[in-house]
Amino acid sequence: MEEVIVVEALGKHFGAVTAVDGVSFSVRKGEVFGILGPNGAGKTTIMECIEGLLKPSAGRTLVLGMDTQREPDRVKERIGVQLQASAYFDYLTLKEILQLFGRFYGKYVSADELLTKVDLKEKANTTVGKLSGGQKQRFTIAATLVNAPEVVFLDEPTTGLDPQARRHLWEFIQSIHQEGRTVVLTTHYMEEAQFLCNRVAIMDRGKVVALDTPTNLIRALPAPYEIKALVDGKAHDGRLEALDCVVGVRHQEDGTFLLRSSDAARTLPALLGWASQAGVRLAHLEVVPANLEDVFLSLTGRALRE
Amino acid sequence: MLLGTLVLANLKMIFRNRQALFWALFFPLIFVVVFGLFRLDEPPTTTIAIIDRSQDDLSRELVRSLSQIETFNVYEHPDEEKARDELREGTLRYLLILPEGLARSVAANSPVAVNFIYDEGTPTSAVVIGVVQRFLDKANMELVKVDPLLKLDARGVSARHLSYFDFLLPGFVGMGVMTYSVIGLASVMAVYREQKILKRILATPLRVRTFFAAVILAHLALSLAQAAIILAAGVFLFGGTIYGNYLYIALLVLLGNIIFLNLGFIVGTIAKNVNAASGLGNAVTVPMMFFSGVFFPTENLPRFLATVVTYLPLTPMLDAMRGVALDAMPLWEFPMELGLLGAWIVVTSVVAVRIFKFS
Ligand SMILES: Nc1ncnc2c1ncn2[C@@H]1O[C@H](COP(=O)(O)OP(=O)(O)O)[C@@H](O)[C@H]1O
Ligand SMILES: [Mg+2]
Repeated sequence: MEEVIVVEALGKHFGAVTAVDGVSFSVRKGEVFGILGPNGAGKTTIMECIEGLLKPSAGRTLVLGMDTQREPDRVKERIGVQLQASAYFDYLTLKEILQLFGRFYGKYVSADELLTKVDLKEKANTTVGKLSGGQKQRFTIAATLVNAPEVVFLDEPTTGLDPQARRHLWEFIQSIHQEGRTVVLTTHYMEEAQFLCNRVAIMDRGKVVALDTPTNLIRALPAPYEIKALVDGKAHDGRLEALDCVVGVRHQEDGTFLLRSSDAARTLPALLGWASQAGVRLAHLEVVPANLEDVFLSLTGRALRE
Repeated sequence: MLLGTLVLANLKMIFRNRQALFWALFFPLIFVVVFGLFRLDEPPTTTIAIIDRSQDDLSRELVRSLSQIETFNVYEHPDEEKARDELREGTLRYLLILPEGLARSVAANSPVAVNFIYDEGTPTSAVVIGVVQRFLDKANMELVKVDPLLKLDARGVSARHLSYFDFLLPGFVGMGVMTYSVIGLASVMAVYREQKILKRILATPLRVRTFFAAVILAHLALSLAQAAIILAAGVFLFGGTIYGNYLYIALLVLLGNIIFLNLGFIVGTIAKNVNAASGLGNAVTVPMMFFSGVFFPTENLPRFLATVVTYLPLTPMLDAMRGVALDAMPLWEFPMELGLLGAWIVVTSVVAVRIFKFS
């Protein structure tokens, strides 16, 4: 499989702060690759090293086979970059900004076409300051596409948006992906990584602590499922720990108990068997798969969002 | 051409940023209007009331010739008591009393006292007394028919009628260009950095130097427009005069503005945010506005300060510009000023490039 981006033993420190500490990974052509991690993990630093905006302290980055440090201009010609929490000129209209940025590249897409793509055609003659948060983010994504890039970098594209605007933006990101572009995005929302990404690198304190598809990452957990059951009436005894594949049990005050299971397909029949034997009626039964949040917790011992 | 497109985009942004444009144009224009309306340079006429007690040929002759002095407005007051009251009330400032029998006393060769009463609170009284004194001295000499041995031949040093307003006009040009370039550019740079626009530009293949060349060219063009508008308002609306070559003035505006734009870059780099940028920009420009001779010649400053301000960038710019504008001198008559401007351009350029940061 063709590798569009290769990061080799990348290190970056700012004075005494080590932002990125010996990170290696590669991104395949046509995938949506996510970098998931809490604030300060080093996501932005990695992105900016790959994009040629920061000079790495160690290691190297290749984009489309070109070393970012050696041939920054050839790399920049073929990538699209959205910076975290960035803006555009206050006193130019959306159309003027896209036209201006287009001129910076050898080839460029028409401003109208880009604005149509992100549903901002009717805002062509307004300024960025007059857009809503979601529209602004859509515009910055449109601006990353002016040069019809093969690789698109999005740094926290949905941070600060309400859930609806976030969903809307996910659709745009998927459509960019469907056009055959490789997308690299960072996020600290596990739902986002899970929804959008083919593969996810989980970062903590400058290091990649895990890298795989979201499904594989979750499956590799000691307890990838949680079974939630509400017992009607009669109290139950402590034999739940002994059920097949159960890793842990928690009781809640309302009578619900939560079983963490390494294999729901085996725990569930065992639980039902136990219930009918003990004459317990299960008022509510739910199997909840673990998510990337749980993966992060199990890898680092901390929650993704403090 | 890419550079042309970028310059045009920058001009558009400058023009649409109404608040900054206000500082660029209306601020110096306000000064032009205020100083143009209240022509401070025209000395106010002094009114002198006269009580002529003798009413003879000599006294009438004195009154007549006194009223020929241009800045004096002389009239005979009918009532001495009332005149003294007016003086006490402050409605009258100068009162000249010619005693009785003036011609008779002079013919008899006996000296007479002419009373000149004035309001001590009037700031210009010393000047007026001096003029009256000189007038009486002259009258004396004519009466005794002697030619004075020493004659003061006082003439203005300037061949032309230079007014304070003409002096101010180049000052306002310098002030306007400096204020806009330092504060305006510093704020723009702070916003670009804060909003990561510079970094976003860096993420494209655009040459960074092309981007900054466009920013500088657009601001230089604006400074010429600023200077043209300020001078046009001064000359056409308020009768100011530029005696020298406009081309030299334009060149000086450009030279000075390169320094101010560099200072703007430096301030915009040091400042943490937009507010800090405009605050620091003011800290740089306000002292120069007052000490580099916008409103009064730097020679009027205390010796030490006058020496120090010679080396500020606005001072040589204004000195050379006034030499060109008021004395119609060619630019090459100012090697010292041009040298200072050149030195400032080199120093500020080096510093601006050295400390510049993208984020
Ligand atoms: N320009 C900088 N100067 C100093 N420290 C920095 C700089 N940029 C990032 N850092 C530090 O590097 C670490 C990683 O930052 P960053 O890559 O922005 O993390 P993330 O994008 O995951 O939130 C943080 O501790 C941050 O404070
Ligand atoms: Mg970040």
